[in-house]
Amino acid sequence: MRSAALLLAALVVLGGCAERPRTAEPATLVFKHAKILGPLDPIPGLLREFERRHPGVTVRSEPLTWTSDEQHQFYVINLDGATPAFDVLLLDLIWVPEFAQAGWLLDLSPWVTQRELAPHFPAAAAASVWNGRVWGLPWNMNVGVLYYRADLLAKYRLAPPRTWEELVEQAERIRRGERDPRLEGVLWQGKQYEGLVVNVLEHFWASGTALLDERDRVLAEPARAAAALRFMRTLIDSGASPSWVTAGDEELTRRPFGDGRAVFLRSWPYAMDLFEAPDSPVRGRVGIASLPGHAGGAAGAGATGGFHLAVNRRTRHAEAAVELVRFLAGPEGQRAITAAGVALYPTRVDLYRDPLAIKAHPHMPRFHDLALRARPRPITPYYLMLSTTVQPEFSAALVGVKTPEQAIDYARRRLDYMLSGIR
Amino acid sequence: MTARQRADRLSGLAFVSPALLALAATAVYPGLWVLWLSLQQRIPIFGIARFVGLEHYAFLAGDARFWNAVRVTLTFTVVSVALELALGLVVAMALQRQQAGRRLALSLLLLAWALPSVVTAKLFEWLYHPSAGLVNVLLGGRELNWLGDPRLALPALIAADVWRTMPFVALLCYARLLTIPGDVYEAARVDGAGRTAMLAFITLPLLRPVLLIALLFRTLDALRAFDLMFVLTGCEHAGTTETLTVYAYRSLFQTLQLGFGAAVGCVIFALVMAVAWAYLRAIQPEGAAA
Repeated sequence: MRSAALLLAALVVLGGCAERPRTAEPATLVFKHAKILGPLDPIPGLLREFERRHPGVTVRSEPLTWTSDEQHQFYVINLDGATPAFDVLLLDLIWVPEFAQAGWLLDLSPWVTQRELAPHFPAAAAASVWNGRVWGLPWNMNVGVLYYRADLLAKYRLAPPRTWEELVEQAERIRRGERDPRLEGVLWQGKQYEGLVVNVLEHFWASGTALLDERDRVLAEPARAAAALRFMRTLIDSGASPSWVTAGDEELTRRPFGDGRAVFLRSWPYAMDLFEAPDSPVRGRVGIASLPGHAGGAAGAGATGGFHLAVNRRTRHAEAAVELVRFLAGPEGQRAITAAGVALYPTRVDLYRDPLAIKAHPHMPRFHDLALRARPRPITPYYLMLSTTVQPEFSAALVGVKTPEQAIDYARRRLDYMLSGIR
Repeated sequence: MTARQRADRLSGLAFVSPALLALAATAVYPGLWVLWLSLQQRIPIFGIARFVGLEHYAFLAGDARFWNAVRVTLTFTVVSVALELALGLVVAMALQRQQAGRRLALSLLLLAWALPSVVTAKLFEWLYHPSAGLVNVLLGGRELNWLGDPRLALPALIAADVWRTMPFVALLCYARLLTIPGDVYEAARVDGAGRTAMLAFITLPLLRPVLLIALLFRTLDALRAFDLMFVLTGCEHAGTTETLTVYAYRSLFQTLQLGFGAAVGCVIFALVMAVAWAYLRAIQPEGAAA
């Protein structure tokens, strides 16, 4: 009975929305976003198109500061101060539940049903939902993949590795055969930053464990987590990965592979466009595969990253702001962004077969299956606390300052204390 | 006390009161507020604000990361201040002996000290670059990862700090050396004193007050150092260069745990106050005598 009443109420609300005129009054929307990386900026064109379709609405775009930490700080200070100074905001997907929990985002559920999220990759869509409500729409995404030198693997008659153990064996065999001291085995991101957490999470998943499980327990299987960390450390000790990966980020690891000096690389889709550039030494010689699993563990899956669009709860123009979010995250918005050759890939599944999008990223269809199998990082309001707490511990285990067991044990105890006070 | 004296005292108080009020508003009030904050679990994002007493301090007492930060802070302070004092003294004496180009040497010294510390840090970031850095080139083209290797990072930071602040000590000592009258050395030489004797019995004792002041300033500065490690090894290295100030910053601004971060801040405050108090006590009799 009660649910029937709720359903009725929802229908009335939805009906009401649909019947209202598209734009009631003149409004100026402010769109706060990080600068888009790529050859040309597609945003101004999109905003003008939106204005053309919504007479009376003007959109001003305001760029954010450069680093992720600064962007987060900017949002926290301004949203906590209940500013109405911006209406639509672009945010890293790991902040969505945090900002939703803090009550800073407009609940989009009255406008956006979960069905509207279906055209997006599941891992991207999942990050927009918290507590059963929709708080944002996915705009672009990243997915962790394994790059391999297809020419070298073919030369030694090897198939892309299914497990990390197999990968190490293959790397060893190829390096022995090539006798090139400058050829590294596998490169990944081990510097102490968010990228390290992503890499470790992927190894956790491949070992069948997690940082935060379905029951919200932190590092519930410390022995498995420590074993995964130990494996990463062994990659360095055995020489399969050079010791400098502990200081490596995306670009530092992408370059040697792009120069033909590594057999394997774990990275994001943007790297493919660079490997296939006309002057690239590895052009036409790079393959993409799903990240390996661990022997006796689960199949591998890449982690996702990316940005979502949301509406400031203090906005004075909720209707128009929601429309803008839907337009930018919709098929046209994402197609225009993708066609401009932006480094991050779209979240809409259709676009991976779209001719215009493929013209900008010829290898995009090859990422379709990998993105479909990708996994989001833990979706929790406390993600930032989780990540910043484990970063120095993971790093300490990789450089050998602590044993993996010590690092995991300490991270657990610290998170227990930090989280005990807030949930 | 006569009525006149009382009136004087009152008007004196009236004159001082604006300064006292300003001090209270900018130092005492925020200080007490931070202390109060450190006794709470306070995370504004999630609307959490409750009194937890000494819980944060109890956690810190058993917190390996905290003790590591204490160790890093103390190592950094002791080693960098010792090197700065020793080198500063040597440079000051060399300057005094130098005949030609003294002005040029002085300006060059000042330049290092006058650079904003963030600029210094950026400069050293390039000097320490594993493949393109001048330091490695000078060492014969080795590929030492100065800022990335947990064993090298702290020494590299200390070297940068010494380069930056040694001139401060050198200038203080040099200024004092200039005021030592030449007759003193003349007389010593007549009495047959050698160089070592003159250094030990004339120069160093006369420099003592200045050295103590330099020691005080440098120690307090080093204890609260932040800029250098933040820029150079900001987010890396498994905590091998994480000082107390960086730890406080991370807790406060990265994860916005105001209560916990305030507790770390209070520990730094107590540490700096204790050191300042100890030094001031050591300096007092000298100051009175001089």
